[in-house]
Amino acid sequence: MRATLVTAGAWLRRRADDVAAILFIVMFLAFILQIITRYVINFPLGWTFELSMLCWVWGVLWGAAFVVREKDEIRFDVVYSLLGERTRRGLTVVTGLALIALYGISLPAVTDYVLFMRVEHSAYMNIRLDIAFFVYVIFAVAVLVRYAWLTWHALRGEAPETLLDATRHEPSP
Amino acid sequence: MNLVSPFSLSLWAITLLALFGLPIGHAMIAGSILYLLIVGQDMGLAAEQLLNGLYNSWILLAVPLFLLSAELMNVGSMSDRLLRFCDAMVGRFRGGLGHINIVQSVIFAGMSGSAIADLAGTGRVMINMMTKDGKYPVSYAAATTAASAVIGPIIPPSIPMVLFALVSDASIGYLFLGGIVPGLLMALAQMVINSIMAHRKNFPVEKPIPLREWPKITIEAFPALMMPVILLGGIYSGVMTPTEAAAVAAAYAFLISAFLYRSVTLRQTYDAFLNSARSTASIGMLIAGALVFNYVVTIEQIPQAVKVLLDGFELTPTVFWIMVNIILLVLGCLLEGTTILLVIVPVFIPTALAIGIDMVHFGVVVVFNIMIGLVTPPYGLLLFIVSNLAETQLRLVIRDTMPFVLAMIVALAIITFIPDTVLWLPKLLGYRG
Repeated sequence: MRATLVTAGAWLRRRADDVAAILFIVMFLAFILQIITRYVINFPLGWTFELSMLCWVWGVLWGAAFVVREKDEIRFDVVYSLLGERTRRGLTVVTGLALIALYGISLPAVTDYVLFMRVEHSAYMNIRLDIAFFVYVIFAVAVLVRYAWLTWHALRGEAPETLLDATRHEPSP
Repeated sequence: MNLVSPFSLSLWAITLLALFGLPIGHAMIAGSILYLLIVGQDMGLAAEQLLNGLYNSWILLAVPLFLLSAELMNVGSMSDRLLRFCDAMVGRFRGGLGHINIVQSVIFAGMSGSAIADLAGTGRVMINMMTKDGKYPVSYAAATTAASAVIGPIIPPSIPMVLFALVSDASIGYLFLGGIVPGLLMALAQMVINSIMAHRKNFPVEKPIPLREWPKITIEAFPALMMPVILLGGIYSGVMTPTEAAAVAAAYAFLISAFLYRSVTLRQTYDAFLNSARSTASIGMLIAGALVFNYVVTIEQIPQAVKVLLDGFELTPTVFWIMVNIILLVLGCLLEGTTILLVIVPVFIPTALAIGIDMVHFGVVVVFNIMIGLVTPPYGLLLFIVSNLAETQLRLVIRDTMPFVLAMIVALAIITFIPDTVLWLPKLLGYRG
């Protein structure tokens, strides 16, 4: 059962990576198309630019939610890396709970904002902005789940392996 | 400043959360939500600021595109060819491999906008080359590699300068131009240190590459050497915006690696895109956090408050420069560069403008300064990466990097107090200041 879950998790993770890579490729190709239509055939296509910008927004938030590994996160680990494992687990619980509280309490308001944007449309492709911006809700929920998981593991006394990776790059002298 | 005002509480929250190991981007978003909660504003503003900030700042697109072109260049055999070219140029001097390392970074700097990409791309090759047969101590090879990677974001293109342009409204094109002379000055400073160390420690001299092989080596490296020309030529002829030039550079890197050098597989291409997407998301989160927090800073009018505070001291430009440089160097030892650039630097901009400091000069000096922070302990990102790559002790790498850091600080003083080292080239090409 556990093995099946792990395999399923790994599969999902790879598909999430695929989405991020595809978003990046579309952003790049749309931008190149924009340059070609502007400079080569002198007939700039507005939607290409808009598509690039949307892929950039989605790429950042989707990537932050599902693709960035714990060790890729940019953090301030001067103090953190000097601490013992027990203390670190304690801090993971504290910061995890704070993050869950603040992202959680703002979730209804940010969802409202995103849904309210259905009244606006993007300039060229006429996409409803609530759909374009919905990635923020996905991001916020994914972050809540991720930190609930990290906090739960820290509480049970297991330092999540991925979290340790973040500080392993500093070999002790 | 009141210690329990909503802004102070938000700042405390961000500082503590980040100090306790939360990723900085999340810490800034969480702290800003706390602020909105306390002052009773709509917390949906967090999403609004983040989404609109990312969606409407088209210059930010240059960030993923520069990351991509560096990734694509590292995939192909382009770096090997460049290495032979550098060997032909400077390999014959004492400490030759150290010089090759530095010159290679200068050329690479002309194509990539990130020090980390430079280091990740060619770091291992450079270290192996220098330590093969025990020619150089591992820690010295690592130190040279880390120090020379700092040149990357100073010589254009440069992701940190794109971010400075975002917070200051200075022209990216002129910022890029302004970085060229300081970047070369930094390389020169490093080569001087390398020469001194080479003579003192009696590092070996490489076998010179005979002149008759030069044309072949140059032709092989030529398409790669054309990259900075296309990039900068495109921007300064006024034909392309820096963002467009970044896209063209990425396309060019892909085309010559795939078709001319025939060294890229489909799998490698996919990995290059995925790696770029991943780096984009980690940097993007930091930018996103800064966008939300900058909203708080703006409604609290923090930069204006700092200006009023500094006005009280009647600072001369010289004192202001010394103060800013020292603050940034100290912060560079503790914080990650992008955070300093997006959060701390904007606070000084109104004061700098008020006392008549040129924004292009200010931007280049600030980026130069913050990049030195990449190799200053205890928090020097490049030091961590390089000691990992070289599998050597961080302590030894830090020891061997120190002479380079001192030389770079001397170079920093020069570009700070002789503005023309930065502004000469932009003025030559039409900058009016």
